[in-house]
Amino acid sequence: MLSLQHLSKYYQAGGNKTFVLNDLSLDVDEGEFVSIMGPSGSGKSTLLNIIGLLDEPSEGYHYFAGEAVHLLKEKQRSAMSRGYMGYVFQAYHLIDELTVYENIETPLIYQNIKGSERKALVADILDRFNIVGKKDLFPSQLSGGQQQLVGIARALIAKPKLLLADEPTGNLNSKQGDEIMELFLKLNREDGVTIIQVTHSEKNAEYGNRIINLLDGKIESSRVLNHQ
Amino acid sequence: MFRNYLKIAWRNLMRHKGYSAINIAGLTVGIAACLLIYIVVQYETSFNKQNKNYRNIYHIVTQSVQGNDVSYTPGITVPAVPALRTDLPEATIAAMDVSYGSQITIPAGSGHADKKFIEHSGVVFIEPQYFDLFDSEWIAGNKAVLAEPNMVVIDKSTAIKYFGDWQHAEGKFLKMDNLIDLKIAGVIEDVVSNSDFPFKVLVSYVTLKNYPNNYNYSDEWGSNSSNHQVMLLMPPGESIESVNARLKVFSKKHYTFDIRGTFNFLQPLSDLHFDTRFGNTTGDHITSKATLFTLSFIGVLIIIMASINFINLTTAQSVGRSKEVGIRKVLGSSRKQLVFQLLGETTMIVVTSGFLALIVAKLALPYLENISSVPKTMGLLSAGSVLFLISTLISVVVLSGIYPALILSGFKPVLAIKNKITAASIGGVPLRRGLVVAQFAISQLLIIGTLVALNQMNFVNSADLGFNSSAVLVIPGYTDSLSLQKMGQFKQQQLQKPQVKSVSFISDAPSSDNNWASNFYFDQAPDDVDFTVFLKAGDADYFKTFGLQFVAGGGYAPSDTINQMVVNETLIKKLGIKNPKAALGKTLRIGGRGVWAPIVGVVKDFKTNSLREEVKPIIIAPGKRVLSLAAIKIQTGSLTQTVAEIQKLWEKTYPEYAYNGYFVDERIAQFYKQENQLALIYKLFAGVAIFISCLGLYGLVSFMAVQRTKEVGIRKVLGASVGSIVYLFSKEFLILLSISFLIAMPIGWYMMNGWLQSFVYRIDLGAGVFLAAILLSVFIAGLTFGYKAITTALVNPIKSLRSE
Repeated sequence: MLSLQHLSKYYQAGGNKTFVLNDLSLDVDEGEFVSIMGPSGSGKSTLLNIIGLLDEPSEGYHYFAGEAVHLLKEKQRSAMSRGYMGYVFQAYHLIDELTVYENIETPLIYQNIKGSERKALVADILDRFNIVGKKDLFPSQLSGGQQQLVGIARALIAKPKLLLADEPTGNLNSKQGDEIMELFLKLNREDGVTIIQVTHSEKNAEYGNRIINLLDGKIESSRVLNHQ
Repeated sequence: MFRNYLKIAWRNLMRHKGYSAINIAGLTVGIAACLLIYIVVQYETSFNKQNKNYRNIYHIVTQSVQGNDVSYTPGITVPAVPALRTDLPEATIAAMDVSYGSQITIPAGSGHADKKFIEHSGVVFIEPQYFDLFDSEWIAGNKAVLAEPNMVVIDKSTAIKYFGDWQHAEGKFLKMDNLIDLKIAGVIEDVVSNSDFPFKVLVSYVTLKNYPNNYNYSDEWGSNSSNHQVMLLMPPGESIESVNARLKVFSKKHYTFDIRGTFNFLQPLSDLHFDTRFGNTTGDHITSKATLFTLSFIGVLIIIMASINFINLTTAQSVGRSKEVGIRKVLGSSRKQLVFQLLGETTMIVVTSGFLALIVAKLALPYLENISSVPKTMGLLSAGSVLFLISTLISVVVLSGIYPALILSGFKPVLAIKNKITAASIGGVPLRRGLVVAQFAISQLLIIGTLVALNQMNFVNSADLGFNSSAVLVIPGYTDSLSLQKMGQFKQQQLQKPQVKSVSFISDAPSSDNNWASNFYFDQAPDDVDFTVFLKAGDADYFKTFGLQFVAGGGYAPSDTINQMVVNETLIKKLGIKNPKAALGKTLRIGGRGVWAPIVGVVKDFKTNSLREEVKPIIIAPGKRVLSLAAIKIQTGSLTQTVAEIQKLWEKTYPEYAYNGYFVDERIAQFYKQENQLALIYKLFAGVAIFISCLGLYGLVSFMAVQRTKEVGIRKVLGASVGSIVYLFSKEFLILLSISFLIAMPIGWYMMNGWLQSFVYRIDLGAGVFLAAILLSVFIAGLTFGYKAITTALVNPIKSLRSE
């Protein structure tokens, strides 16, 4: 479903180009759970942002769901990201002024889904994530794990084809982290959600079925895991 | 979606209560001020428009050119009326003679004694044709009754005042100035307040012919009184230029003799309320277009200031909101949706301010009459004011909302969610600085305006008028033969009181807004002198009562007729006499039919009118027939009691008249009512502007303080003193303040110099005013941001650096 070919991202500083991503190629199939690892500055987040259509590569070809993304205009790309992508962030990035319920509802609003349908969808996911009781609380009233749960619920509410997670457990303790990873695994296996996550933790990376190691903007190694 | 936006907007407002309060307070005050200004401007510009012939009604006015002297009067001579009817046959012509104060007596009837009323305005001798020009609703009778002599039409509320109800007024009698018996032949509805023709007692014009001496009614072409005015209705399509051309021919034909260069021309009704050349004509007041322009200009400035506050605070705050914007973009919001959301928030703040402004304006409305002529009963809400409010709100939303919304919605989401947006990176710093400069400049402009206006009014109020105006009581009386007979007796009785220093019967106080003018002859010459002389009549005690000083000769001996004259320095200077003593013994003759009389004294120049006007050439002469005022100089101290005693005696002497006394200095202060109002307006709106800009400044400094907490922390760790950090904050503002001063100073100078030109006697526009303005604004700005700057500088650096 995703194909990146000879992708580069660089910044022009004086006469020199500083490469963040350097001639990188990557294919991800539907239903995969990919973990991206690598030291700080290796280009993990930039890669994830480009895949998530939040950033643009400087060069290269980018295909997603059969579309040549590198040929699309800003508006079309943003329409595409709205339809296909769900994002989970290390710092959760919930909107502080909105309640749990409203945070989860927001993506649906931007997709012009009717009020009654929104209600049903949000109720359903609150139920699934066991956070019905928290729906009227504001983010600041939740623990980190609970906030991330809301973040994931929000990412999934619009039924994205691809879930992108940038260090989803980075701000959580190990028990909360494990719970989130179990949830990812379940989503991937049972609901067939394609997931790409960036992580520092070897343990969390192994929840996926492929681990890609980045170094200096290039894929250093790629390893397929066989979970039974 | 809309509800979601509203919710977010509301929670944002609540979360940043301080900024919201500043924004709302600034906008509320600004919008309320604008709304009130609108009501004043709209009221003044609505004058006379209620008449359906508004576009085709004209006032015939007179211009006299004598040498370099151009003078204007709203009056026209009496014989011009039939002549105009002949020369402009297609026009409908209505003559009127306005009384600036009459006594109306309701004769004793069943159960009541004589009822006496003083009418300072609204009494007029008028032709029935007036009602062909102006719309009027007749409750009883019709315009035809005004073709008969000794008929009067009164309006409804006057009827109620005189008789208790209007239904039974018709057919009753009243007496005007204890002289003319009038029969009430009609009742009309009250004239609306925004009319320059607020007539309430309308006496048939033909009545006037029987009392020529009492109302300066003269069939001479050379005698023109500003009371006698003519309105005219032209058929639609007639151009004002062609009529003026015909009036030029008309003037040449008729004003052939002693008065030179006299022309009649048309003043459209639409100009009448704004034309300051003619002073007050028939109505309560006139307003110059310049005043209305100044007022509107101030209104626009105030709204701009409030919008600037909003822009500055919102853009500054936008850094704090970048995360939300980033998340929304990631969640799929388009830029357009974000712009709408942010504009929605602006709209919410603006509409909230709009409602609060309505409340503020409503509370302030009754006080509006202190700075304008808007009546107390004026309502706040009208189709016009609602439309104005709505369009103001819309323009404020657009003015103040668009820029911050575009800035915010333009954030790159990846940067925004990582909090990589800083105040510097959102740009627009030069713009924000520019806006602060504009704000400072506006408040300094208004401060300059205030200082100049207050200084000038102070100068005017304490100016040396050249005579002693304090503690001189003037009682208007009448010149019927009975009243004139009682003069001597009244004077003797008053002088017996120890507190009364002097009594004089006069036609006019030394300074007044009356102009009684005439052509005159000098030194037995056959031709008249080529400038107009102004006349004041008084008995021999005139000079003593008002403390006039002689530079040559002295006062005249008591006389009932003009046999000696006193002139002022200006007159002899204009006649080319250098030494005042040389003027003594020379003879003067007032008008074509007057008698020659010698000059016996020359008085030092005194201010003959308001300080707006030059000192005029003056003749003071006896002439019992026109001495309608009693002027009484009282010893200061126990004024009230003395006045009460004087009144008692006056009422005993003239039982048929109502007492109506006033002090000369109070009347002189009345000359400057409009200027004093303008000074008050400046003061008020300078206050509003300072308030708004202080709010903005405070908000901006608070924001800067938050932004620079880390920098301040580091500087302190490196050993910076509190003083140097406060200086760091103040430096930029001081520079901006100086730039704004450079902008405000020339504009302020130009504006106020123009205003001062309307006074012949005025203050010098020196550096002092401008120095005071900048010191004041530095002081106010310092007060505003000083506290915040100092508290920020005092924060422990460990605290501010830990949060990073």
